Amino acid sequence: MDKLHYDAVVLGGGLAGLMAAHEIATAGFKVAVVSKVFPTRSHSSSAEGGIAAYVPGNSDPNDDPDYMTYDTVKGGDYLVDQDAAELLSVKSGEIVDLMERWGTLFNRQPDGRVALRYFGGQTYPRTRFVGDKTGMALLHTLFERVSGLDVDFYNEWFAVDLVTDERRVTGVLALDMKNMDPAFFKARAVVAATGGMGMLYAHTTNAYINTGDGYGMALRAGAAIKDPEFVQFHPTALYPSDILISEAARGEGGILRNNKGERFMAKYAPKKLDLAPRDIASRSIMIEIREGRGFPGGYVGLDLTHLGESYIKERLALAYEAAMNFAGVDATKEPIPVRPAQHYYMGGIDVDTNGINTDLQGLFAAGEAACVSVHGANRLGSNSLLETLVFGRETGKTVVEYLRKHEEVSSPSLDKEAERLLSEAYSFVKSESGVHFGEVLNKLRGVMWDKVGIFRDEDMLKSALTEIEKLRGQVREMYVTDKGKTYNTEFYNALELRNMLDLAVVIAKSALMRTESRGAHFRTDFPERDDKNWLKHTLAYLKGNQVEIGFKPVRMTKWKPEARVY
Amino acid sequence: MEAQTLATNLEQREITVRVKRFNEDKGEFWSEYKLSVDRFTQITEVLRRIKTEQDPTLAYRASCHMAVCGSCSMKINGEPRLACKTLALDVVKKFNTDVITLEPMDYFKPLKDLIVDMGDFYTRMFKVKPRLYPAEEVVKGVAEQRLKPEDQRELWKFAQCIWCGLCVSACPAVKEDERFLGPAAHAKGYRFLADPRDTLYEERLKILLDSSWRCTYCYQCFHVCPRDVEPVTTIKKTRAHTKFSKEKTDVMSTGERHVKAIYESIKETGILQEAKVYISTYGLATAITDMLHTMRNGKMKYALIREKKVNEIEQIRKLLGD
Ligand SMILES: Cc1cc2nc3c(=O)[nH]c(=O)nc-3n(C[C@H](O)[C@H](O)[C@H](O)COP(=O)(O)OP(=O)(O)OC[C@H]3O[C@@H](n4cnc5c(N)ncnc54)[C@H](O)[C@@H]3O)c2cc1C
Ligand code: SF4
Ligand code: SF4
Ligand code: FES
Repeated sequence: MDKLHYDAVVLGGGLAGLMAAHEIATAGFKVAVVSKVFPTRSHSSSAEGGIAAYVPGNSDPNDDPDYMTYDTVKGGDYLVDQDAAELLSVKSGEIVDLMERWGTLFNRQPDGRVALRYFGGQTYPRTRFVGDKTGMALLHTLFERVSGLDVDFYNEWFAVDLVTDERRVTGVLALDMKNMDPAFFKARAVVAATGGMGMLYAHTTNAYINTGDGYGMALRAGAAIKDPEFVQFHPTALYPSDILISEAARGEGGILRNNKGERFMAKYAPKKLDLAPRDIASRSIMIEIREGRGFPGGYVGLDLTHLGESYIKERLALAYEAAMNFAGVDATKEPIPVRPAQHYYMGGIDVDTNGINTDLQGLFAAGEAACVSVHGANRLGSNSLLETLVFGRETGKTVVEYLRKHEEVSSPSLDKEAERLLSEAYSFVKSESGVHFGEVLNKLRGVMWDKVGIFRDEDMLKSALTEIEKLRGQVREMYVTDKGKTYNTEFYNALELRNMLDLAVVIAKSALMRTESRGAHFRTDFPERDDKNWLKHTLAYLKGNQVEIGFKPVRMTKWKPEARVY
Repeated sequence: MEAQTLATNLEQREITVRVKRFNEDKGEFWSEYKLSVDRFTQITEVLRRIKTEQDPTLAYRASCHMAVCGSCSMKINGEPRLACKTLALDVVKKFNTDVITLEPMDYFKPLKDLIVDMGDFYTRMFKVKPRLYPAEEVVKGVAEQRLKPEDQRELWKFAQCIWCGLCVSACPAVKEDERFLGPAAHAKGYRFLADPRDTLYEERLKILLDSSWRCTYCYQCFHVCPRDVEPVTTIKKTRAHTKFSKEKTDVMSTGERHVKAIYESIKETGILQEAKVYISTYGLATAITDMLHTMRNGKMKYALIREKKVNEIEQIRKLLGD
C-alpha cells in the first residue's frame, strides 16, 4: 500500500474542511484534503437561505452579539454550550467580512454594503445571503481561494477508516475511487469535516452523499458522538424529491392543507397557525398523514394559490421554481406537495470550541460532522453555514498549534493496522454471496424514518434497535457484485452503509435513553422537557456491538433555562 | 378543489430506461431496465432506484439532487442535461416514447458507465485563475470593498456556474481548437475580469482575449447551461475588451473580420443573421463540418438561424441532402 506523508489530513472538501485546510496551509504546514466528491459538489453547495452574522456598523443599531447568542441558546432549547455560542456570535462578523474580501458576491444595499434579512428565531435581522444560493456562492469562493494555495487535493478519494495507535490518530486509510488504489495517509493531525448523515432517513433534504461516514469512522476508532439523538426535521420538503421549500413560503402566507382541503394547523397551533415553529409544524403534518388525511404517497399541500400569480413570482420565486422544476407543479395553480424530511444533524463527533476531540489525540472535527454544541437540541436557520466557517477556522488554528508541539510517531505496527483495516473493507468485494447493499439500505432508511423519526416512544425505539442490530449482522455478509476497480460505486455504497449502520444504532440507543422531549427529540411517552434530569449532553461510544452511554454537563454562562415559547 | 388535481395526477407509468454503459472488461454495452414512475420522478431518482433495487453495478455521479452541485451531467434522449433537473415523464412527453435513453456526456472520456473523466474540464477552469485577487489593503483588512447592487447582480449571473461541464461537452469549438478555453472557463474568467474588486486585469486579458475570438457563436452553451450562465454572452463581453489590448494575435484579426461581417449583415437586412456571419468568417467548408456536428447533436436549429435570405444556407441544405 502507498504511504503518503502529511502534517495534517483534512477529510472533507465542504466549507468546514476547506476553511481548516486554509489555516493549516497558510501557516506553512503540508496538508491534504481528501474528499469523496470534487469539493464544489459537497453538500454545502445546497444551502439556500443565508449565513447569520452580527457585523459591527452593518447590523440593526439595537442588535449586539449577546442577542445573537441568546437567540441561539433559546432556539437550541438550552442544550447549547453557551461559551461556544458566544464565540460563534463574536466571530460572525469577521467571517462574513473575510468571505466578502475573498470575492463572495453577497447581495448589497444601495450604498454598496452587504445586505441583510430576517430569519426564523432572530431578534434582529442578521442573515447575509447571495440570492437563494448562499451555500454555493460561499463554497465556490472558498474552493477557489484554497485551490490557489499549496494544498494537495485528493478528489474522489474515499476515506475508509482512521488509523489509530493507542488512543492516538496517526493517519487515514483512503481509496482512490478511480482505480481502487489504497493509500495510508500518515499525518500527525486529522480533521474530520465529513458533513451530515441525511441518507439514514427515507426522507431527507440532504445530498445523496451525506451518509455520515465521519461519524462511523470516529465511532469505530473509539471517539464519542455527542447528542446523537438530536436530528432536525424540516416541515416543508417538496414531495417526493425532498428539495427544501424555504420557510419563506409559510412566512409570506402559504397555507398547509390536507386532502380535504382543510387548514389543519388551526387544530394544532390555533394562534400561530402555519407560522408555528419547525418541530410543531412537522409533527402536525405527520399526524395528518398518519390519520389518513394526507395524499396518496404521504404528503400534504402547501397552498399559495390565494396569493396570486404576481405576488408568488415576485416574493416566492424560489419556491415557485423548485415546485416547477422538480415536481412539475405550477404553484400559482395548485398546492405544492410537501412533507417533513430530515434536514440537519445536531449530534456529531464530540469536540470543544477548539475543535479538539479528547478521546483520541490528534483527532479534530468541524462542521456538521462535529458537535461543538452551538446548536443544542435544535439548530436555528443560517447558523450552520456560520458554524462551518467559524469553527473550521478555529479548528485549523488549533491544528497549527498542535503541529508546532507534536512530533510524528512511527512504528511498523501502524502499517499493519492500516493493512488490517483495508482487508476488512475489501472483504465485501471478495465475498461471493450475501446481501446487497441496496436491500439493507432501503430497509434501514425506512426503520429510521418510521421509528427513530419525528415521533418516538419506548416501544418504537426498542423495536428499531432490534431491527438495526439485525441489519448490522447482515452487512457483515455484504456482497458486492461489481468486481471492477474503476469507479466501483457499489463498493463505496457498501462502505457507506457500514458507516450508516454504526451511527444508526447509536442514535436509536441514545434516543431510547433520553426520557424527555427537547427541541427536535420528541418522545410521545415523555412529552415535556425535564431540566432536572436531562439538562446534559449525551456521549455515546460504540464498543464492538455495544453502545456505551455517558453524560457531560452543559456549559452555561449567562442564560438560565426558560420555557421555549415564541 | 386544487387538492384534487394533486391526488388524481399521481398515476404510475411504466418506462424503459436504456443506459449506454462502459467498463474496461466489456467495453461499450447497453443495459435496459423497466420501472414505474410518477410525474414527480427525477432521473437521479430513477438511477438511485435502479442501483438499489435492480442493478447495483450501474455507476453514475449524483449529489445534491437540486441542480446546484453539477455532478449529474449526462445525455438524456440525446440532450445534454442534469439528471436531477429532468423529470422522467417530461422526457416521455417531449419525445413521445416510453423509452428514456441515458448516455455519458459527449467529448469527455467515459470511465465507467455514466461517469466520465472531468480532468480536462478542471484544467480549463484553473487556466483562467478562477479566484479574486483583491487589493493588498483589502486583504489586510484595512480597506472595505463596496459593490454596487447592479454590479453584484450582473456578476452573480455569470458566477453561478456549477462546473457541470455540459457546455463544454456540447461546444463545437472546443473539439476543433485546442487553444480555445471553452465556454465555462470563459464565463468564470469574465466574472473576475469584470469584477471591480479584482486587480489582475492585464493578466486576465492575456489569458482570455485570444481564446474569446475562437468561439463560433453557435449558442450551444447558451442552450444547454442548467443555470442560465450564458457563457457565450461573457465571450461577447470579453471580446469588447480587445480594444484595450496592445498585442493582437492572428485569430483576433480574424475576429475583426467577424465583426465586419456582422456589420455588413446588419446593414444589408437590418437583422443579425448569425449563420451568414459564420460562413463569411470561416468559409463554407468549416461551416459544413461544424453544422454536421451540431446536427448530430440534434441542434441543427441553433446553427441554421431562422433567416431565409442567406443563399449559402440553401447550398448547405443541398449538400446535406435536405
Ligand atoms: C437543503 C439545505 C439547505 C440548507 N440551508 C442552510 C442555510 O441557509 N443556512 C445554513 O446556515 N445552513 C444551511 N444548511 C445546512 C448547511 O448547508 C450544512 O450543515 C453545511 O453546509 C455542512 O458543511 P460541512 O462543511 O460540515 O459539510 P459538507 O459540505 O457536507 O462537506 C462534507 C465533505 O466531506 C466529504 N466526505 C464525506 N465522507 C467522506 C469520505 N468517506 N471520504 C472522503 N470524503 C468524505 C465530502 O466529499 C464533502 O466534501 C442547509 C442544509 C440543507 C440540506
Ligand atoms: S457559442 Fe462559443 S463557447 Fe458556446 S458552444 Fe458555441 S462555440 Fe462553444
Ligand atoms: S457554464 Fe453552465 S453548462 Fe457550463 S459548466 Fe457552468 S453551469 Fe455547467
Ligand atoms: S445531483 Fe447535483 S446537480 Fe444534479
